Amino acid sequence: MGETHNIQRIKERINNIEDVLASVAAGDNEARINSETEDDLSGIEAAIDLLIDDLTDELIQREKMQKEVEDKLSKIQEQQKTIFQQQADLMELSSPVSKVWDNVLILPVIGTLDSQRTQIMMENLLEKIVETGCTISILDITGVPTVDTQVANHLLKTVTSARLLGAECIISGISPAIAQTIVHLGIDLSSIKTKATLQDAMIYAMKQNKLSENVKLQTLFTDPDENED
Amino acid sequence: MMQLTSNTNWETIDKHLIKTEHDIVNVRQQIRFCAKQLNMGIINQTRITTAVSELLRNMYNYGEGGEVLIQKGMVDEHNALIITCSDQGPGIDNLELAMSDGYTSGKGMGYGLPGAKRLVDRFEIESEKNKGTIVRIMKWN
Repeated sequence: MGETHNIQRIKERINNIEDVLASVAAGDNEARINSETEDDLSGIEAAIDLLIDDLTDELIQREKMQKEVEDKLSKIQEQQKTIFQQQADLMELSSPVSKVWDNVLILPVIGTLDSQRTQIMMENLLEKIVETGCTISILDITGVPTVDTQVANHLLKTVTSARLLGAECIISGISPAIAQTIVHLGIDLSSIKTKATLQDAMIYAMKQNKLSENVKLQTLFTDPDENED
Repeated sequence: MMQLTSNTNWETIDKHLIKTEHDIVNVRQQIRFCAKQLNMGIINQTRITTAVSELLRNMYNYGEGGEVLIQKGMVDEHNALIITCSDQGPGIDNLELAMSDGYTSGKGMGYGLPGAKRLVDRFEIESEKNKGTIVRIMKWN
């Protein structure tokens, strides 16, 4: 009688263990066996409880880490967005064309000249030439560390298109190292007016200005005579 | 075909993949820094940087990007900076033509390869059609 009762008890307890394991497997972190009796089976029950403890701890840790990683990822994505935005902003900012004197435009170029930037730079310069009617523009490349054939090609194209609009383009700020490099590369920049410093270019531009003013004055004075003749 | 000089004693400084124009700028800055560390003067710094820039642009424009290896070591009793650019692009059809001034297969000026050669102390090139191109340049300090 007592034996069958015992077997009945043990069956119940095993069923309980199964239930607990099933709910843990389903994701319940709180389920435990919590056996109150002391016998051979309770040792196994305690061990299972411990295992569940460890397992749930791991799970919680993993979830925490996953969340941290996700947080970091979203932060990085946000930073990347900012970087892209700033790159776009810089692109616009980095090619300002300003009128510094009567008839004289200056475009200081700083940093690297890639194709995209040259495009923007060229557009800015040509627009400004048309807008202001200036006939002399100075391209200052003091801030360009490397002039390779591509950069030189871009510069040549810019100068040529400015010329098509009737503006003379002077390139200034060529360092001795860059001058030597250009010569070794074999690039012919002789069709372009170049000056060592921005100051030299300014002086040249002003001289040109004076010359053209004199020509204007002369034509003013000589025109009536020609009409009388 | 030309055999590239190589030596296991060369110390590798860095290795980069070239995929965007931005990578070109980064590598160029590093080359300038390395040249400075090897006590090269400003002229030589500019030369090697410009030569590398030409090669990287070729790689980017024609070779669908590639890899650049920066090394330093002794070459013929010179302390040298050694840069190797390799791509898996279409390769160069006619090396002799590509190395001549003013010839371009694209939209460039045609001074890239011959210009780069004049800027460095040693220039080696190996190219196989449809396999790719390897260019190794060296500059003594």
